[in-house]
Amino acid sequence: MDNTVKRLLERLVRRIPSRMLKTTLDKWSRLTATQRQSIDYTESKWALTEKLLAICEVFGCSLTVLVSPWFHTDVIENPNLGMWHAFQLMDPQDDAHSVELTQFKEQFKSHLSELIRHVSIKIKKHTDEAVWIRIAWGDTFSRPNHLKPTYVVHYLQTPYVFLSSLTSKQKPLLSQALVLSTRYQAIKDANLSGRKLTAIRDLLMKQYLQVFPTKFPSPLAERNRVVSNLHIEKEQAGSAANRHQMACEAFGDGLLPQLQSAVYKLETKFRDHTNKTMTERDEPFRCVVKFASTNLLESLRHSASSGVASTPVTPLLSSVPLKGKNYFVITDNGPGPSSQK
Amino acid sequence: MVCERKQCASGDRTGTTALSRVTFTGQHCGYPEVGGVVTQQPPKSKTCKRSGCLHRIKYVQKNKEKDSGNMEGAPAKGVLSHLSLLEVKARSRKTQLQQQSRVMELKAKVEALKTQREQLKAQIQTHQDLQKLRLAMDKQCADEEEENMEEESENSKLLRLMARHTQLKDLLHAHHLIGGYDIIKTRKGKGACVSIATAYEDVFLDTFNLEIDLKPTVKISRHNIPPFIPLNNLAEQNNMQTDLRVFLDTLSKHLNAFAGRKQQLKLVKEKHKSVEVMESNVLCSLLVLLFTVPREKTAVLCTLDYTDHTRCLPTRVHLESEDKQLPDSPQWKKNCTLLMETPVHKALITMKKMGSIA
Repeated sequence: MDNTVKRLLERLVRRIPSRMLKTTLDKWSRLTATQRQSIDYTESKWALTEKLLAICEVFGCSLTVLVSPWFHTDVIENPNLGMWHAFQLMDPQDDAHSVELTQFKEQFKSHLSELIRHVSIKIKKHTDEAVWIRIAWGDTFSRPNHLKPTYVVHYLQTPYVFLSSLTSKQKPLLSQALVLSTRYQAIKDANLSGRKLTAIRDLLMKQYLQVFPTKFPSPLAERNRVVSNLHIEKEQAGSAANRHQMACEAFGDGLLPQLQSAVYKLETKFRDHTNKTMTERDEPFRCVVKFASTNLLESLRHSASSGVASTPVTPLLSSVPLKGKNYFVITDNGPGPSSQK
Repeated sequence: MVCERKQCASGDRTGTTALSRVTFTGQHCGYPEVGGVVTQQPPKSKTCKRSGCLHRIKYVQKNKEKDSGNMEGAPAKGVLSHLSLLEVKARSRKTQLQQQSRVMELKAKVEALKTQREQLKAQIQTHQDLQKLRLAMDKQCADEEEENMEEESENSKLLRLMARHTQLKDLLHAHHLIGGYDIIKTRKGKGACVSIATAYEDVFLDTFNLEIDLKPTVKISRHNIPPFIPLNNLAEQNNMQTDLRVFLDTLSKHLNAFAGRKQQLKLVKEKHKSVEVMESNVLCSLLVLLFTVPREKTAVLCTLDYTDHTRCLPTRVHLESEDKQLPDSPQWKKNCTLLMETPVHKALITMKKMGSIA
């Protein structure tokens, strides 16, 4: 068994949290029951790895076999490693809506293998209808590198694709393969990225609780409401409820998808009459504003409902959930953000 | 004489006797009274005789200077009493004014209430006219008569419009109650919000919402419809700009069919654990099931294609099996037709009863 396999095995074992080791190894069908029982989970990870290596040496373990079940636990169970970027497929052809899994799998594998000779592709469908693709890239001279794979997640019949760990060299190859196998005509950057796959997926697929104007907007007031201060209640209750409603309409209710940042790249002219040197310049004033938080949408909603951000919520902020983007380029033409990318 | 002290409404009792050189002024409860009644001698009883009033009556010597020869006290006394006289006069004038303004206030209130009463009467009258007109209009719609196009006054035209407005509102409400979509105005008429309810087999499922801008053009500004429903395509094809109702009807059909198919899949997974779902997709337009034939234990793969996204039933059923003869057998041909005509979760119940599947 060569070094790459050894290193891969070590790395994979290291990535899995100790408490999940038993469940992961149980899922690996290569190990027989006796072998599984012989593994002592109270040992350190290093000792465990040595044990596994010994088992694999005896029974022979090719790279592909090693990779297949591990990638499930490696990434599907821990989808929050690294940054995920969303892409959007454009201009569907007539049969885009009836692409089914086997067809997609075959097409994707054949197209990508045509474009690059040494590549290892594994496609798996998860229970929530997500198609997971793991790609290990090699080139004309070297074998596929399993230590730095690219992951692709796609839901058939939707125009969105989520990518993780893709270099700029690999991007055009992957885009081509995706476009051809999904029967669309182009792919573009959706300007949405985040650490949590579920968050950016929920945002684009609109799977969080949105609030819309209805005939009876406010719920019935509870009978025995406990108010801390009657005077504050009398003055502030109405406007607080109004702000809360507008904040929820802009961002949503309940648990919001966890985005980590929003970036606004400004390319507008400088406007401050007290500073002549800046305003006299012809070229636009380049500036980047970045909002960062553990849960950005939650913070924005709270700032709107508490009055820190003025309501009605400015389109600059409400565009994040509305357009499903967290990267905006703002120019002088037209009101509000006009993303060019 | 009434005591001028604010809260006390008692009359004071002073006796008067013939004037003499020494005079006494009665001071009821410490306050000088109007006029200053003088007595010759301090009366014997010192408390006010009025029942319930316990004020003491103080009798002070009025013309003290004759006896004492005290020159300074006299003008001071005189000035003080003069001041108190003026104060009392001013107070009485204020209450008189207050009384007057209070009367004005009440008169104005009466006027306001009268006009309000007139307004309410007019409203009741309009409402009654409206109801009569509505009855006539509803009857007209039922009988399908031609409308009366004679010359109408401005008032009756307005009334007719109002009646039509309430008729449409009732229609919309009825539409909402039977599970259709509901529309409300937002942003003072510049926008509308449509909520489309979905239901399957008498159970309400998800509700989808659309916020639409009406001015300057009809455009969707916000929605929570999943991306696999081709919203923009539907908007273009059904010409949302000119015929909003057709667009909403088509969208409602798509959403209801999707909700129905999704519900069928959920029921299959819950109630038919012996049937394995091999493949499905987010739009629920494709379903591949694995059946096991009892006794022989052969596997049958069944593919259901729902290419018409406005329907809950498949457009194509395809069967495959290791036993090549099986799909052509009369029993399975019947099962095929069954799957085309009945919702899948119900078809499976029948197939189990017939013994086709485990």
